[in-house]
Amino acid sequence: MRTLPVDDPGTPDHRSPTRYLTWLVRTQAPTVIAGALLGVVWMLAQAVMPAVVGRAIDQGVAARDPAALALWAGALLGLGVVQAVAGVTRHRNSVFNWLAAAFRTVQVTTRQAARLGATLPKRLSAGEVVSVGVSDVAHIGDAMDILSRGSGAIVAIVAVAAIMLVASPPLGLIVLVGVPVILLLAAPLLRPYRRREDAHRELVGELNTHATDLVGGLRVLRGIGGETLFAERYRGESQRVRSAGVRVAAAESRLSGAEVLLPGLLVALVTWAGARYAADGRLSVGQLVSFYGYAVFLIHPLKTLGELAGKLTKGHVAAGRVVRLLELEPEVPLAGTVRPDGPGDLVDAGSGLVARPGELTMVAAADPRDAQAVADRLGRHAPGEVTYAGVPLADLADLRDRVLVAVNEDRLFSGPLAGSLTTTGRGDLDAALVTANAEDIVAAVGRDAHVAEAGREFSGGQQQRLRLARALAADPEVLVLVEPTSAVDAHTEARVADRLRAARPDRITVVCTTSPLLLDRADRVAYVEDGRVVAEGTHRELLDTASRYAAVVTRGM
Amino acid sequence: MSTARKLPVASAAQVRAYARRLTLRHPRALAGALALHALAAVCGLVAPRLLGELVDGVSRGRAAIDRIGLAIAAFVVAQGVLTWLAHYASARLGERVLADLREEFVDRVLALPLSTVERAGTGDLVSRTSRDVDALATSVRYAVPETLIGAMAVVFTAGALVLTGPLVALPCLVAVPLLWGVMRWYLPRAREGYLRENAAWAEMTDGLAETVHGARTVEAFGLAAARRRRGDADIARTWRAERYTLRLRTVLYPVIEISFVLPVAATLLVGGLLHANGLASLGQVTAATLYVVQINGPIEMLLSWLDELQVGGASLARLLGVGNVPPDRVAGEARPDGERLTARGVHYAYRPGHDVLHGVDLALRPGERLAMVGPSGAGKSTLGRLVAGVDGPRAGTVTVGEGAAVPLVELPLEELRGHVALVTQEHHVFRGALRDNLVMARPGATDEEAAAALAAVDWDGPGLDARVGSGGETLSPAQAQQLALARLVLADPHTLVLDEATSLLDPRAARRLERSLAAVLDGRTVVAIAHRLHTAHDADRVAVVEDGRITELGTHDALLEANGSYAALWASWHGDHQPDRTGR
Repeated sequence: MRTLPVDDPGTPDHRSPTRYLTWLVRTQAPTVIAGALLGVVWMLAQAVMPAVVGRAIDQGVAARDPAALALWAGALLGLGVVQAVAGVTRHRNSVFNWLAAAFRTVQVTTRQAARLGATLPKRLSAGEVVSVGVSDVAHIGDAMDILSRGSGAIVAIVAVAAIMLVASPPLGLIVLVGVPVILLLAAPLLRPYRRREDAHRELVGELNTHATDLVGGLRVLRGIGGETLFAERYRGESQRVRSAGVRVAAAESRLSGAEVLLPGLLVALVTWAGARYAADGRLSVGQLVSFYGYAVFLIHPLKTLGELAGKLTKGHVAAGRVVRLLELEPEVPLAGTVRPDGPGDLVDAGSGLVARPGELTMVAAADPRDAQAVADRLGRHAPGEVTYAGVPLADLADLRDRVLVAVNEDRLFSGPLAGSLTTTGRGDLDAALVTANAEDIVAAVGRDAHVAEAGREFSGGQQQRLRLARALAADPEVLVLVEPTSAVDAHTEARVADRLRAARPDRITVVCTTSPLLLDRADRVAYVEDGRVVAEGTHRELLDTASRYAAVVTRGM
Repeated sequence: MSTARKLPVASAAQVRAYARRLTLRHPRALAGALALHALAAVCGLVAPRLLGELVDGVSRGRAAIDRIGLAIAAFVVAQGVLTWLAHYASARLGERVLADLREEFVDRVLALPLSTVERAGTGDLVSRTSRDVDALATSVRYAVPETLIGAMAVVFTAGALVLTGPLVALPCLVAVPLLWGVMRWYLPRAREGYLRENAAWAEMTDGLAETVHGARTVEAFGLAAARRRRGDADIARTWRAERYTLRLRTVLYPVIEISFVLPVAATLLVGGLLHANGLASLGQVTAATLYVVQINGPIEMLLSWLDELQVGGASLARLLGVGNVPPDRVAGEARPDGERLTARGVHYAYRPGHDVLHGVDLALRPGERLAMVGPSGAGKSTLGRLVAGVDGPRAGTVTVGEGAAVPLVELPLEELRGHVALVTQEHHVFRGALRDNLVMARPGATDEEAAAALAAVDWDGPGLDARVGSGGETLSPAQAQQLALARLVLADPHTLVLDEATSLLDPRAARRLERSLAAVLDGRTVVAIAHRLHTAHDADRVAVVEDGRITELGTHDALLEANGSYAALWASWHGDHQPDRTGR
């Protein structure tokens, strides 16, 4: 068996859900075809079993012939071995197919999410994309699997009907007519079941979200009260899920009753007609038993056929969600090719801000939104007229490598602590940790400690210092930090401010902040009002000369 | 860093006892469902027997073909109807049990001791709430009933086989050692294997979720390649876990299939010999053979759900374990006679032998605003939790009251909440109406009271009827913080501990909010742990916490005059540059 995942999942066809599924089938065509063939062999081995039992009864038991009996019993065992080998090979093949399709879908989803970057949250909700990995891949895998099993089932039904037609045309006809009739009669029962099951699943999902929500806010709940209120609400929702579950059960139980009744009636009909022919001598007793066996056997492939439509539909819906993600394109394409001769000034024409290499520049804005807008332009997360060493950002090669804008919405990723803070393999993590005043965190838990998802086991202040260390360790030519110390205490903030100044010689560093502790350490502060730089100088110069600046940063003290 | 401790897991005996209680809680519904399933199973056993009679009749040349044919059809109809009713009855019971299970779990979660909730990470609890409840749902909805039905059908079919003829029933036993052996080999391995497989899948989805939630960060830091590698590594781990269980099934499935065919061949062979010697009729051999074929269905069903049942049992143990956390306080009878909070000689340690507070004394004056400042890790938040009664001190006391002061940890939770409340940086907006997010603090509060509480925090968000929280309108971090404070206003305890409760607001808004809050909370005692010095400036007294001790305590002006570490910080804030005191 080959190993998964493949190194390169290839370029998916995202023009439509059907094309996406077809693309998946094409990429794994050999195993899909092999799966169908194995499915046929496995089903056929089971299908001819009743014939062998019939022969054994006729030629062995009824004829009291021990040799024939041993022969047919041996044949039965041999058939059993064939069935077992084909069955397990088929199963392995089908698991491989299922996983190959699911994994490939996860791969293309991950690659697309990473490629889209900041565009992704603007276009699709995170939940929708994550659900691709949770449930859609399973439906896509099921669709792949049912293709193999379904073809096996169809061949088995045709084969059984053919065997019966040859042995007894009228009985074969009964089966040939009976099978479609059963499928037709069962179909209307299937629809309400699926509808109710979808409704139930949706309610269960909501109930889960509700419970997770309670757990997420448990500190608040236990701290301030409201347990009774929330427990009652949960109970109400849980009871709604229960009645939806009972409604599913009503439809499902009718279906399972029908699954017994309809094929059972066919079995009864075949047995009755077969017995009449046996009484006439047109069938042997063994053949009667075989016919009973065929009719009972048919229940299995019939069930598979029942699954076919449902699973293909669900696979199609799931592929639709994947396609919706795959067809998105990044908003601000990054395709610049110009390499500047060396480091130079960073100039934002929109605000008039100029940041120079080797200088710690800070932006204090009367309105925090202005500072964010400047930062977005500097990192080309939003379009704007910004040049670096004379080169417009749109034309700059390796933009993301050269310019890093770190904001408080950035996330820590799980993994070993030191590894998750090292992103470029360039800068010095230890120095960055000292600058960000985060050595104590790393010392307390160890460099290899596992960071939980989003670093949620760290406090807000600790997360912020770790994020700052990560940004510093990336060591880009241009680093833009937005309110990097808003969640740490004044003592720590003062220390960070002192160290930040020395941390990036020869590099451009821009900090957007209104904290006087930080601004005091800047080489140059640009004060922004209504989107424009209206005053420049050191913190203390501005305190003396720009009264509105003083009002913004000291808040009238 | 909060040390995320795992919550306990219930013992096997507890799980068994609980399952027993749960099973017997609805005895009539259970008996009814079981009876219906039994009847359905019996009806399903008639056809092979009647076919056997047909075979005997036909070979003797006189068979009541039409009567027997009709009888087969009649029993098929009966079986169909009974299956329908039985399925419905057992599913209804299952839904009832499932609802009981999850509601009782949520009750247990909501009753978790305060200190456990504060200290344990929520990750473990979240996974119990989502994954384990899901796993248990599969067990209750499918695994348990199918196993019961399967077991019942096996027993009845075996009974029918014996009734057909004890001698022809014997050969099918050849499969028993085979099945027994392979299941003994398979089950213990399967349980581990499937748990590992589930964990691998969960990790893979978590990795994808991280990439999606952090898409902006991935782009800014150029982490696309790293995320691809992480995703592929997760897939490779999932693949290994899948391969392991697949190998187990590669052994299991062929053995099972062979053990299904083997008894059929044996029954034919031995039955044929018995028939040849006049010890069994042709019909008996036929019926026995058909029963042996038929018994495979329920056995397969039974076996295929066994590992699912194991997984369900493990999940149940984790759900019940939440109830095993010992209570963190024993409420006494004494009730305080006043509002004065006092800490005396307080020591506290997260790990034995490593005190983070070293004999802190703090007497809060009713109605004062005390600001607590100091470097990270100095013990401010720990002291705040002790003052709020969330944790008890290792040594020393934190009491409330004038003459007959009562330790906070000896008050029942409801009583404690009326005295003191803690608001931290961590805010949570619950799914639902904004109103519910408020009145949780005081059930029964009117809309006017809720609106007044919102007004007190300069609320600029949506109205009381707006749906908020996940899936509803998104509140900004600042609004979430305002909401948390509005809850406090509504809860109205006489003492509040605010741990960085305004840190997410932009500095101007934070100060405005604190001032309007001060107006509403006039007369309340407020302990504000804050890193913004304007909070300290506005307070009645400032406490500087360093290395687990209160090193300076007094008014803003007095501390400036004392020229200690607070004065240095304040000077720096105002632009009088001071050298880095750590010397680095």
